[in-house]
Formats: sequence, C-alpha cells, structure tokens
Amino acid sequence: MSSISTQIKHLLAIAICGTLFAASGGNAEDAGNLYNTRFDINAGLKYFERQCSRCHGFDAKGNDETGAPDLTGRLSRASSDVGIFNIIRTGVPGTAMLPVAADLPDSQVWQLVAYIGSLSTDPANIDLPGSVVAGARLFANKGDCNSCHMIDGQGGRLGPDLSRIGERRNPEELLTDILDPHQEVAPRWWTMRVTDSEGITREGLRMNEDSFSLRIMDAESNLWSYPKRQLASIERVEESTMPSYTQILSDSEVDDLVAYLFSLRKEN
Amino acid sequence: MNRSIALLAPLCLGLGLTLPVFAQEDEFQTVITPAFSPVTWERLINAEDEPENWMMYSGTLDSQRYSRLDQIDKSNVAELEMKWSYQIPVIDRAETVPTVVDGIMFITEAPSNLTAVDARTGRVYWRYDHELPDDLRICCGRNNRGVAILGETLFMSTLDAHLVAIDARTGNVLWDTEVADYEAGYSKTAAPLIVKDKVVTGIAGGEFGIRGFIDAYDPASGELEWRTYAIPGSGEPGNDSWSGDSWKTGGAATWLTGSYDPDLNLIYWGTGNPGPDWNGDVRLGDNLYSDSALALDGDTGEIAWHFQFTPHDVHDYDSIQVPILADIEYQGSTRKVMMWANRNAFFYTIDRVTGEFLEGDAYASQTWAQGLDPNGRPIRVPGMAPTYEGILVSPPIVGATNWYSPGYSQQTGLFYVTSFDGEQEFFKRDEDYEEGERFTGGGGRYNQPMDAFHSSIRAINPATAQIEWEFPIMPRSSAGITTTAGGIVFTGSADGYFFALDAATGEELWHISLGARVHAAPMTYAVDGKQFVTIASGNVVYTFGLKDN
Ligand code: HEC
Ligand code: HEC
Repeated sequence: MSSISTQIKHLLAIAICGTLFAASGGNAEDAGNLYNTRFDINAGLKYFERQCSRCHGFDAKGNDETGAPDLTGRLSRASSDVGIFNIIRTGVPGTAMLPVAADLPDSQVWQLVAYIGSLSTDPANIDLPGSVVAGARLFANKGDCNSCHMIDGQGGRLGPDLSRIGERRNPEELLTDILDPHQEVAPRWWTMRVTDSEGITREGLRMNEDSFSLRIMDAESNLWSYPKRQLASIERVEESTMPSYTQILSDSEVDDLVAYLFSLRKEN
Repeated sequence: MNRSIALLAPLCLGLGLTLPVFAQEDEFQTVITPAFSPVTWERLINAEDEPENWMMYSGTLDSQRYSRLDQIDKSNVAELEMKWSYQIPVIDRAETVPTVVDGIMFITEAPSNLTAVDARTGRVYWRYDHELPDDLRICCGRNNRGVAILGETLFMSTLDAHLVAIDARTGNVLWDTEVADYEAGYSKTAAPLIVKDKVVTGIAGGEFGIRGFIDAYDPASGELEWRTYAIPGSGEPGNDSWSGDSWKTGGAATWLTGSYDPDLNLIYWGTGNPGPDWNGDVRLGDNLYSDSALALDGDTGEIAWHFQFTPHDVHDYDSIQVPILADIEYQGSTRKVMMWANRNAFFYTIDRVTGEFLEGDAYASQTWAQGLDPNGRPIRVPGMAPTYEGILVSPPIVGATNWYSPGYSQQTGLFYVTSFDGEQEFFKRDEDYEEGERFTGGGGRYNQPMDAFHSSIRAINPATAQIEWEFPIMPRSSAGITTTAGGIVFTGSADGYFFALDAATGEELWHISLGARVHAAPMTYAVDGKQFVTIASGNVVYTFGLKDN
C-alpha cells in the first residue's frame, strides 16, 4: 500500500512545481465557472487572441518586453478560477495589466478564465515521470485495459471511451482512476441486476434509468430495455466494475499509464 | 401505485440495494428488447424483407419508401394513438428520418447530434454530441437528416463537413473524418448511403461556390476510397460546358442521399444548382453536371451516364431529390426505371440502365419551359432568366418540390410527391467569388402571401407522367412521404398535421395536429409484432401505433 502514497506524493510534487491542479482541478472551484465547455474555452481563446495576446503572446507564454507573465503554468496572483476572474475584471493596479472593458459581460470573462484554465493542463506544460509509449503498450497488453475501454474506435464497450480522457482528467485524477476505481463512479457505470417476473436475471451497466424504465448493456454488449413494473427485483450496485491495479502493476507502470492517458486528446 | 413509488425512492440512496418491485397487470408484454444483430450488406440489400426494421434513410436501396407492414391499414388507421414522443434537446427544425434496427431507434438531431432510444418507448440508451466550431458556413438551418448503418457502426454527416462513425451500442466515436473544409463553405446534413463495403456520401455548400462531389469511405478506417466530382475538371468531357474558370466555383452540391441498384451495380445521385445560382452570365454553357442525375459505378464511382434536368439553370432548380427506382410496365414491357419529380416542376421517368428519357411532363405550375423535347431536355420560354429589376417565374426558388422524399407504392404503382404551385420574382446581382462567402448572384421575392399559393400531395403514374389524383394542403409543405402495404400514404403538412391518405384514391383516412411544421418524412417499423409510424414535427419525434388490447 505504500506504493499508492508514494505515487500520490510523487504526483503532488509534480503538481506543485509545474502545474495548476489546485486552481483548475478542484471541484468546488469548478462549480464557480459555469462557462467551461469546449465551446467556452474556444470563445475564450478567440477573445484572448484579440485582446490579450499582444502582451501575453499568442501562446500565452508571456513576453519579457511587455512584462506580461506566462499564463500556462502556475499563476503568481491567483490560485483559483475566481482569482483569475478578479484579475481580468479589475486588472493589476499599477501595472500594464489593465481591467477589461467594464461592459464586457461576466460570461465572457468566465470564458477567458476557462481558456486560461485549459492551458494549465496542456500536456506540453506538464512533465510526467512515465513514458507515453510504454503506457500505450501496457494499456493493450499487461493492463488489458482495452478489453473494457475504447480508444479511437479500438477496444471494449464495458468502460468509458478514453480517446480524449486527457482533456477531462488531470494526472492526479487518472492515478486515482487506476488505483481506486470505486472512489468516483458515474451513474452510467453502475451495475444493475434485474430479475423479471419469470425469474430470469440479467446484469449490466446502467445506460439509463428513469422513473418507469431502465436500460442496461450486458457483458456481451447486448442492449436491454425494461419497464420497471415488469421486474420482480431491481438491484443497483454503485461500484465500479473496473479492478484496482494496486496489486497488478508496479509504480512505474502506473506512471506510464498515467502519462499515456494524459496524452490522449483530440488531435490537432 | 403510491406504495411502489415510495419503495422506489430509496433506490437513489442505497448501495447495492435489492428491492421488490410489484409486477402488475398492465399493457406491457414481457419486454425485452433483443440486442440488435449486425447489419450486414446482405440485410441491406434485402431490407424490404424485414419491414420491422427501417435500416436506411429511404427504407430500402431503391428508395421507394414502401413498407410491407400492413397491420395498420385503411380500415384501422383512424384508430392510431400516440405511443411516445421524444423531445430533441437542441431547438431547431427536425428533418430527421430515424433508423430502426431490431427495436433500437437512432435519431439524428440539430445541430449534428445522435441519440439511440428504445423504439418501443422512446427512452434513451445513449447520445452523441458532436463538437462544432462556432463559425459554421451553413445556408439553410442547423439540421441533420439521418444515419446509415453497416455492421454495428452508424455513419453520420456533420455541419462542419465531417463524416463520423459511431458505435451503435455505446455512441462512442470510432473515427471522425474531415470530408471538406467547412471554412470554404462546405457542410454536410444528409444521411450517407451504404454501397457494399463503402459509405457513400455527398456534400452541401452550393450557395458558397464550392465544387460538388460524391465520396466513398472505408467504413472501418474512414479513409477516402474514391471521389467523383459533380463538375468535370479541366480536360475532362463536359468541362467545356462552363465558360472560363467558372467550373471551379460552379456548385453542383450533392446534399441529399442517393439510391443503389445492386443488379446493375449503379449508384444514382442528384446534383444541385450551378453557382452563382441566379446569375448565369458568368458561367455560360450547360454547366454539367449541375441539376443532373448521375449514375455511378458502385465500385469505382466512375460516371456511367448522366441526365441533366435543367441545363444552364438560373433559378436554383436543384436536382436534389431522392431517386426512386422501380421496375414498371411501360409500353408493353417491364422496364427498369428511375422516377424523378424535379424541383423544376417536371416529372421524369428515365431508363435507369442507360439514362434514356422515357416520359415526362409538368406536375406543378411552371412558366419557364414550353415543355420537354423528345430527349427530355426542357424547351425554354425566352426571357425568363432573372433580371436586375426582377421577373416573375414559376416555380419559385423553393421549387415545385425539393429535398423532401417522394414515395412509391408497389400496390398502386403510383409515385407520390409533395408539390407546390407558386411563383416568385427572380432577380440577379453581380457578385464576385470570395472563399467561404455566399456566392448566389441574386435572389427572389414573393409578390403574394404564401396562403395565396397551393400545395398538394400528387399521385403520378410513371408510365404516362400524368397525375392520377391530388390532395390539397396548405402551402408550403416540406414533408416527405411513406407508403405501406396497408394501402396508405403517410405524410405531413406545413401547418403541423400528420395524416394518412388512401394510396389508391387520395381520400383522407386520418389526421392529427402535432402543432408544428412537419419538415421530415415519416417512417414505419415494428417491435414485438406491433407496427408503429414515426414522424418528426417541430422539435419532437412522435410515434403512433394501434391501441393495445
Ligand atoms: C498591455 C499589456 C497586457 C495586456 C493587453 C493584458 N495583460 Fe495580463 N498582464 C500584463 C502584465 C504586465 C501582468 C503582470 C502584472 C503584475 O503582476 O505585475 C499581467 C498579468 C496577468 C495575469 C496574472 C498572471 C499571474 O501570474 O498571476 C492574468 C491572469 C492576466 N494578465 C490575464 C490577461 C488577460 C485575460 C488579458 C486579456 C483580456 C490580459 N491579461 C491582457 C499585461 C497585459
Ligand atoms: C473490467 C473492465 C475494465 C477494465 C479491465 C479497466 N477498466 Fe477502467 N473503467 C471501467 C469502468 C466501468 C469505468 C467507469 C467507472 C469508474 O470510474 O471506475 C472505468 C473508468 C476508468 C477511468 C476513468 C474514466 C473517466 O471517464 O473518468 C480510467 C482513466 C480508466 N478506467 C483507466 C483504465 C486503465 C488504465 C485500465 C487498465 C490498467 C482499465 N481502466 C481497465 C472498466 C474497466
């Protein structure tokens, strides 16, 4: 078990030196920014290119001449979305960093926040210990992850599609996903065990459940739809069907998988 | 009732709770939706033999939209009741024709999304939301008309001119291929067509000076297998039907779904207007192959023959209609024909082996042509081209019909089309081409209120090109048509009705107000031996069936 804590310490160290997990990854803070979809990030980028890039650069990496800092790593004046919002809204008094136009709607400021937040988990800005190539190999071979997960159309249907997982989960979260899968299980991945009036039992992942009916996918990826009234019993297991890999993979193998998963994004 | 609700509530809290749920006497039968089995090419060729499924946009490869289901028939159609409805979350107009395979229905939605539902209840299995750029170039609304399926994979066009492959069981993206550059004005809205082991698909953008094409993709990898341009390149036959370099921005989009004849191994596909739409001065000549039907080799995409309905079009009379293929009795022998009610107000019966014109006549009001010559070429009325001041011409820009599917009944041998008798002032403008900008060279305006015009469902005898009956409705309907072995023609109207007509006589059998414009074609299917009819109206997909007992 010591391996997990070393892993986590290890990753936290990375987080502190090179990234902004605390700023963008915290769920409580995330709830503060309602404008953080891909669309918003893109809108933020467009605005940034027009209004901010002349000082901070098109890549937001900063510019010595203007004194505008790099925004892709850890920020010195803000550690949360709200903090970034306030800097953009009010500027940094006494510096070239002026506030945005007073009539710019809050929603657009939030889009800028979302864009800046997205930079911090840009893989180019994070140095992970694992090897992407080795991780890809483990994913298909020793880890057998692809029996449940699809990446770019290859793999199983018994877990979430991971083709773009790097956009959704930071390295710390990915580590938890692999070592402690039960910690956070989306309802889509709960298991339903149902028995119909004739006594036939079927089990599957919970694709959808509503007041009167439910739909599951069984292990052979067959789809089933039931009206609840027809069922003699319904059992819901709010756990992950994914095994924990603490005993199965070494620390460095987990590092490799994390590096690989974190690299998975929409191409270009 | 209260008791079972109270018992269900703790479900939300517990972890691995087992709860008794009381089975009650009810109208549901034992309900297990059988998992669908892969849709092979064999199944698609013989789609007619499994009428419980609707496995492609037009139902079958010949696009007749004729279903052998007859549980709902002339005698009981008036008893139809709504079984379920599905609300599309993103508000726009629904032009979708759902696909049903083994009890699962796939619904495409605005802007470019896709949902799988239980075809018996309309409840969702999964959804796929396609990410779109925010600077799309689209002429005519955010919509999508349907998917194609092969194996366990769905293929869908997207507004950013991509073709995506989606796993039918989970909604996972298998591949996402850019078909063309949306920033140059290309977009995609139509359901692709499976032809053997390829996904065949067209392109939209005829109002943006694109150069249309028909593509075939490898279903496994999304790689382009062949591309056939709808405008011949320099040095190719037909290129000289364009003055100067006008062919490069000549339009001829291919924005609807075609048909396929497995025996002849020919794909049939319509092409759109030449561009700029209303100013023909800058593109003198016939402008091949705009406003044409193309017959393409099913393996290579090579053009076997073409038939141009409107040479040198200046009225935006797109030949973007679904070609209907049937074998009919014609002058004493059985002929393999293609039937086509064109936007230009003429109906054509064409030999689909050779492209030879057999019959044709106007089926709606028109003032631009005196008629068709023996080869089916229109004899133009002089002086009907758009002017700078404007000139009144029928049919108007939207045409005597448009993209909405016609139907054909094997019982009656009749062809059914939603038609419009209208007129409009057409005018032209001088316009320069700029990539990604609209390139139309003019426009049109109505000089009377819409209600002054007429829409109707017309039944045409393909052997004579004459109208057998018509059923008037309020203008301007853009609903498609489906026919069944129950002797019924199903369609909808602009004022929000879904209705059933007697396929033989045109007599009204049933109608229901759905409250919003029907912008789609109905389709029919069956689950557990029960026939359903589905139609999108406004933003909702409605499904009807007979009363259970
Ligand atoms: C005229 C040049 C200029 C422009 C334009 C400009 N900035 Fe700045 N920005 C600066 C400077 C200089 C600083 C550093 C201020 C300081 O802390 O001394 C800064 C700091 C920041 C910070 C805090 C960085 C940190 O590490 O805490 C953020 C966030 C920021 N800018 C965002 C933006 C956004 C978003 C825009 C566009 C709306 C923008 N800036 C436009 C010059 C500029
Ligand atoms: C038996 C099937 C199965 C196997 C094998 C499996 N997983 Fe999973 N995985 C799941 C399921 C189900 C979930 C969703 C529930 C959850 O969060 O644990 C999941 C979730 C995840 C997530 C979080 C995804 C998200 O969208 O948040 C990651 C990352 C992940 N798995 C990685 C892996 C890796 C790496 C392996 C191989 C070492 C692996 N999985 C093996 C079934 C599996």
